Amino acid sequence: MTPEVFMLCVLAALLELDTTYALQLTFSRGIIAATLMALVTGDVMAGIQVGIFTELIFADINPLGGILPPSAVVCAAVSLALHALGIELYFSFFFGVAGAILFSQAEKLMRKNRFKWLVFWEQQIVKTPSAVNRAVALALATSFLMNFILIFIFVLLCGKLMLWLLPYIPVKAHFACKFAYMAVPWIGLATLVPAFRLKAR
Amino acid sequence: MKFSMRLNLFLRSFFLQTGWNYMKYQNLGLTFVMMPFLKKVYQDDQDALPSVLQRYLENFNTQPIMASFCFGALARQEEAVAQAESLTKFKEKVTEWASIKKGLSITTASIGDRLFWGALKPLTLLMALFIWLLLDINFFEIELPAHTPFLYAVCAGGAAFFAFNAIALFVKWQGLKISYHANEKTCYGLTRFDWNKTIYNAKRIGIVLAVGMILFGIYHYLKDFREVDVHFITRAVIVLFFVMISFITRKLRIPNMYLYLAAVGVFNIVCYL
Repeated sequence: MTPEVFMLCVLAALLELDTTYALQLTFSRGIIAATLMALVTGDVMAGIQVGIFTELIFADINPLGGILPPSAVVCAAVSLALHALGIELYFSFFFGVAGAILFSQAEKLMRKNRFKWLVFWEQQIVKTPSAVNRAVALALATSFLMNFILIFIFVLLCGKLMLWLLPYIPVKAHFACKFAYMAVPWIGLATLVPAFRLKAR
Repeated sequence: MKFSMRLNLFLRSFFLQTGWNYMKYQNLGLTFVMMPFLKKVYQDDQDALPSVLQRYLENFNTQPIMASFCFGALARQEEAVAQAESLTKFKEKVTEWASIKKGLSITTASIGDRLFWGALKPLTLLMALFIWLLLDINFFEIELPAHTPFLYAVCAGGAAFFAFNAIALFVKWQGLKISYHANEKTCYGLTRFDWNKTIYNAKRIGIVLAVGMILFGIYHYLKDFREVDVHFITRAVIVLFFVMISFITRKLRIPNMYLYLAAVGVFNIVCYL
């Protein structure tokens, strides 16, 4: 685990807050977040590619109502962190997508359990209205911490696993993963056409 | 509402979704956003504040950008509640307040989801992709050019960021301003904009750009075509297969990411056969 990968995890945890909890200025969308994170690792072109692929692969899921799409930030962070550790992008992107799906499950669990904690804060707010500022600050801090822990652990585990596995991976598996990676923009673009349909289904 | 108060609510609205939960959704965020306004309205009647806050801590869920329409309308109605002269009037105003909160949050969520997540986000993505292609950053290739100027690399993402936020922040600011001064007849300012026409036009542009992008990709694969070799056929089959299958998976409501993960598995099996 290099310092730049550690910094990338910190930045990813911060950017992930933009997805739901703070700002929502689209810093967390793939093409922005991946480019920003690539500035830390130094490979901007890899960041752009991962960003585009991340946006396209998750283009069909929107945060409507209570739907929780997989995190583009986590996907980009895991992909770029593993790439910075020397793993090919077509392998690291696979772990990025898997990480984003797992993160959304963990996030769902956190949202379900947060209510118990909020009951306490609701009582505090009714008693002392200024407690709402503390509740918001604490919610942001805990979300950041949880994001960081989850991203860091996932990157650490996948990084160790892939660095150990890499010498044993046959050339055929490289080809297979490369082909699947090459198909990502096509999968995404083919989804965008019906996404812009003019009549509601 | 004074400019300073509007600015305060506007800045706080960026934290509407902090504390999002499956039981009461954005209740904490709504209370946080409205707090300075409530403190000002009830500055002479501090004892009323706890019961007022309990109303704000009930369920609330809407699209975060369009939520500003709710803030303005709720602020105006809260003034009416605070100025109620009798208990009957007070109850009447509180009921109106609750119906505004419920009704407006559903309407704004519907418009916001369709406009911002359904049209503007993919549209700005396509805009960025076209800019990158114009700057010779061809994302259809796995190997991207290594020596691309830094400005070229970041400008498309930057353009998408500014295009999305220019519209989002405008709607957010204007929504707060308009809804505070509007009434029920104008649906609290929502009728000021022709949302359906905007969404329709955005989607029309989007579909042209998306089809254009697919055609460009096909052109990119065919432009160096000399003869039908194994390499060409493999690429063509992969492209056609995924374009076809993603239409089917969309009908079956299977997300793209599972199609990609399945592709990794299938290609590995095919390579070993």
